Amino acid sequence: MAYIEVKGLKYQYPATETMALKGLDFSIEKGEFIGVTGENNSGKSTLCQAFVGLVPNFYRGAYGGSITIGGLDIAKASNAEICTTVGLVFQNPYNQFSGAADTVFDEIAFGLQNIGIEKQEMIRRVNEAMEMLDITAYSDRNPFDLSGGQQQRVAIAGILAMKPQVLVLDEPTSQLDPQGSEEVFKAIDTMTQAGITIIIAEHKIEKIAEFADKILLLKDGLVADFDTPEKVFSRNDIVSYGIDPPVYTSAAEKLDKRKPESGLYPVTLSDAAKCIGTDIPRVVLKKRDEYPIEPTFDVSDITFSYDGRKNIIEHLSLKLDSRPTAIIGQNGAGKTTLVKLLKGLLKPTQGSITLAGEDVVGQTVASLSSKIGYVFQNPNDQVFKNNVMDEVMFGPMNIGFTKEEARERSMEALSEVQLEWAKDINPYDLGLSDRKLVAIASVLAMDTDIVIFDEPTIAQDRKGKARIAEVINKLEARGKGVIGILHDMDFVAQCFDRVIIMAQGTILADDEVHRVFTYVPALDKAKLEPPHIAKLMNAIGSSQIALSVDEIEKKATAGADR
Amino acid sequence: MKSISLYVDKNSVFHNLHSFTKLFYLLTMILVPAIAGNIWGFAAAAAFSFLMLIICGLLKKAMPFLIFTITIVLIIFIVQGLTYPGNESVMFSLGKVEFYKEGIMYALRIGLNFWNILFAFALLILTTKPKDMVEDCEQIGLSPRFGYIIASVFQIIPQMTGTMSTITDAQRSRGMETEGKLLTRAKAFIPLMAPVVMSSLINTKERAMALEIRGFNADIKKTYLYTRKLKTSDKVCLFLMGLSILSSIAFRVVKWLILK
Amino acid sequence: MKKNLFKTKFNTAVIVLIPVCIGINFLGKFIAAQLKLPLWLDCIGTCIGAVLGGPVIGAICGAVNNLVYTITTGDVQSWPYFLTSIGIGLTVGIMARLGNMEKFGKALVTAFVVVVVAVAISTPINVILWGGTTGVVFGDAVFTFLREKGVGLWLASLCDEALIDLIDKFLTIVITFFIVKALPKTITSVYSVGDEIKNL
Ligand SMILES: Nc1ncnc2c1ncn2[C@@H]1O[C@H](COP(=O)(O)OP(=O)(O)OP(=O)(O)O)[C@@H](O)[C@H]1O
Ligand SMILES: Nc1ncnc2c1ncn2[C@@H]1O[C@H](COP(=O)(O)OP(=O)(O)OP(=O)(O)O)[C@@H](O)[C@H]1O
Ligand SMILES: [Mg+2]
Ligand SMILES: [Mg+2]
Repeated sequence: MAYIEVKGLKYQYPATETMALKGLDFSIEKGEFIGVTGENNSGKSTLCQAFVGLVPNFYRGAYGGSITIGGLDIAKASNAEICTTVGLVFQNPYNQFSGAADTVFDEIAFGLQNIGIEKQEMIRRVNEAMEMLDITAYSDRNPFDLSGGQQQRVAIAGILAMKPQVLVLDEPTSQLDPQGSEEVFKAIDTMTQAGITIIIAEHKIEKIAEFADKILLLKDGLVADFDTPEKVFSRNDIVSYGIDPPVYTSAAEKLDKRKPESGLYPVTLSDAAKCIGTDIPRVVLKKRDEYPIEPTFDVSDITFSYDGRKNIIEHLSLKLDSRPTAIIGQNGAGKTTLVKLLKGLLKPTQGSITLAGEDVVGQTVASLSSKIGYVFQNPNDQVFKNNVMDEVMFGPMNIGFTKEEARERSMEALSEVQLEWAKDINPYDLGLSDRKLVAIASVLAMDTDIVIFDEPTIAQDRKGKARIAEVINKLEARGKGVIGILHDMDFVAQCFDRVIIMAQGTILADDEVHRVFTYVPALDKAKLEPPHIAKLMNAIGSSQIALSVDEIEKKATAGADR
Repeated sequence: MKSISLYVDKNSVFHNLHSFTKLFYLLTMILVPAIAGNIWGFAAAAAFSFLMLIICGLLKKAMPFLIFTITIVLIIFIVQGLTYPGNESVMFSLGKVEFYKEGIMYALRIGLNFWNILFAFALLILTTKPKDMVEDCEQIGLSPRFGYIIASVFQIIPQMTGTMSTITDAQRSRGMETEGKLLTRAKAFIPLMAPVVMSSLINTKERAMALEIRGFNADIKKTYLYTRKLKTSDKVCLFLMGLSILSSIAFRVVKWLILK
Repeated sequence: MKKNLFKTKFNTAVIVLIPVCIGINFLGKFIAAQLKLPLWLDCIGTCIGAVLGGPVIGAICGAVNNLVYTITTGDVQSWPYFLTSIGIGLTVGIMARLGNMEKFGKALVTAFVVVVVAVAISTPINVILWGGTTGVVFGDAVFTFLREKGVGLWLASLCDEALIDLIDKFLTIVITFFIVKALPKTITSVYSVGDEIKNL
């Protein structure tokens, strides 16, 4: 019998009509690293929660089949047995804190106290976990005052410190900077050597392709495939499961390079580089649509601090324009803080910000609301009405549209994110990905001159990202200014023309998207990485980088030349 | 994040005592004068705690406690000075109104006791982190669940006020006005209140799940990151306080015997 | 029905609910003060706790609320009103379990009962502690007016308290009603008693 056995697992949430899991069967060996993937609402989070018994014991509802871990029947086991065996890191970092600890250190120790770890051992483990996630510097900070990515690190550390035998992670790195998420993956990968089993739900395909032993592909609450990354991702119908194959795989496919041993396309960077070898492809840069560029914000020498002691933004000057502009940088660099300053939500202690010549600092947020739209990093900070339509209409009604106009605009905005079907649903009955889209629609409906997106792609699958990309392109075409904060470099390369790299409250680089990803020292300092395809081009020693698979072409062979 | 607890982060005689010593101090200050039953006892106790507040440099922080009680003590003086059942001898009169000595003495006794308890309470609250006291109590048997409720209130209220300002930002950034006539302001109550309430209530679900995963429900004996032992100073204080309770009892008994 | 009236689950979800409800009480009071509304609106959380968790949880919310309020403001003499808070929590919880928070009309009935209970407990406290006043301007204006007209202390105090509670508690219950109605199913199902896991 395998270490983890899932047999005929079925589950239906209370007050719903359809099953979220419709009969899953698979088994996992001790020490395996399993990547779970699939489109939004395919059941990944539900499965993750079933591993720790929250499904069904917390939600109740209807349950069938079983999960056993090392002989322990999870649905029937006691809380004590479960939480010393399995640990789960949630999808949304904001609500994972105990709410009873006022420092990061105490927060991580919270679980250890509950499972009766002796004091010295507790301190040792907390320190170890903090080191692993690079949060030792925040040890005494209040967890609720951290940036999104810092909070996610604390949440992961809190579970790691409990040293479970099986570690289940639900999109644990969605808000981490690229190097940070690489570090997390490496850290949990080393844990498998100690016999710890890892199950990770993830939309970052390249990551699980590299680290996972096997991929569990879910679709509509059923197992669509359960096999090695190479087999799963080289299926030619993979797109129909709502996910893209790894960029490396697509590139190899385009260049027609297979692994000689297996005849399959490579799925990791090193394999792809090996397959391509010295046969460096041609780069044909795609011409981007060009629109007239107009200046927008003029930020001059601003400084800002939350507590009057440590400056989060320091002497920052910046001229923005209507080109889609991405702000990237490591966790806690001050990206969210900067856009809140632009939006007038925070006031700089020094310096000035103007928008098209008008002063922003002196104006109320309400009066700026018809000019600047801002989609919050956490949709829960923004969404409050009890149905989607009212939520989206709230903004337009406030800035003086009649009910009919507001309704019309809202319908349009909802159709742009393809959520018309959800207009009568309570936003909190939607998943995180859809709720984020509702937040986006509610800002789009206000038709502002500038739209700021704070990490719009969190929790989105391929389709969701495509919808957001389309929204951004349309805004650009209509001459609206778009500013985005992102950790997804592929998405940056795809949608943005100008990129600003931030670190520690200052700007390290600011350039055209094609150039910015060649600034290796700046990228490194800001804990960033170039997009996957650019990484591949670097790995094979190409002198040029491409930003998408479309931009590489097979070199004409010698034979064809003649 | 601004803390809502009145705890003053400082170093003082009282800060260095164990929370139980401070709790026992509150108890002693309530019991001793009450048992001794002498008006000077109340005065001495109140004066002692007041002195301690000064020594610990907490007088300014104790002001809110005092201000809250001034009116009520005044009321007691007036009501009892006028209407105390045992009133016989007139002490002074304001125009037609006559204040009686017995009533005033009674009011003085209540007033002094009131302040006595208040100052002792202020000493406890201003020098003890709620979280520490809860943890200490848990370690001698308070249910960790109840402990969690108290400890998390102190963490959650500031978090909710924080969320509220974020949400106020979000609403204002979608064009809502919060100033103006009573009706405008009253109308703003719901869009301000509802999102915080909704999101906090909704967050309870995830927080509850997070707690379960982190062993909150596990029937394993909990250990503690911070264990505060009774120091020698605590033991000395406890001993002295115990002694003063005993001597107040002795005082009362002797008084009773003499009267007899 | 009877048996379920006081049934309380002390599961994690309920434990987590209590601090949040107390937070809601604080916020209500805070926002009312910020917007300079002449009301308290300081027990919305207790009422939500009572509707979701039942009368026992409502009572606990009320009691802990006043305890925490005293500790955090130093307002020692208002702690006797914890009795009122407990009364409100219990009443709302019982009324909700009896199905009186499901429709708007029924919620108004609940509001009326809450007013009666709140007045019945608060008036004696007002008289003993404050000589009958409530500290809210227009209520106390009525009190002074009645006293000058020769109305007895208790009756005047009762009118003072009842007038304020009438507006305050009605609004509180109405707000509670709309908030609970607006909660998504995914949340309310967490607190519903008596659901068992079905087998598939
Ligand atoms: N608490 C809940 N109550 C009712 N239905 C739910 C609940 N949580 C999830 N669902 C539904 O269960 C299905 C599976 O959702 P789940 O969250 O497991 O998907 P997912 O694969 O994790 O999606 P995502 O990629 O967006 O995280 C969806 O149809 C969703 O609407
Ligand atoms: N409310 C707050 N109070 C105090 N410090 C804060 C607060 N919000 C953020 N900070 C601190 O300010 C710094 C910048 O935070 P900010 O949220 O701008 O980072 P970010 O670049 O958006 O990071 P991330 O990618 O993790 O979202 C961080 O060190 C963070 O801990
Ligand atoms: Mg999910
Ligand atoms: Mg951020």
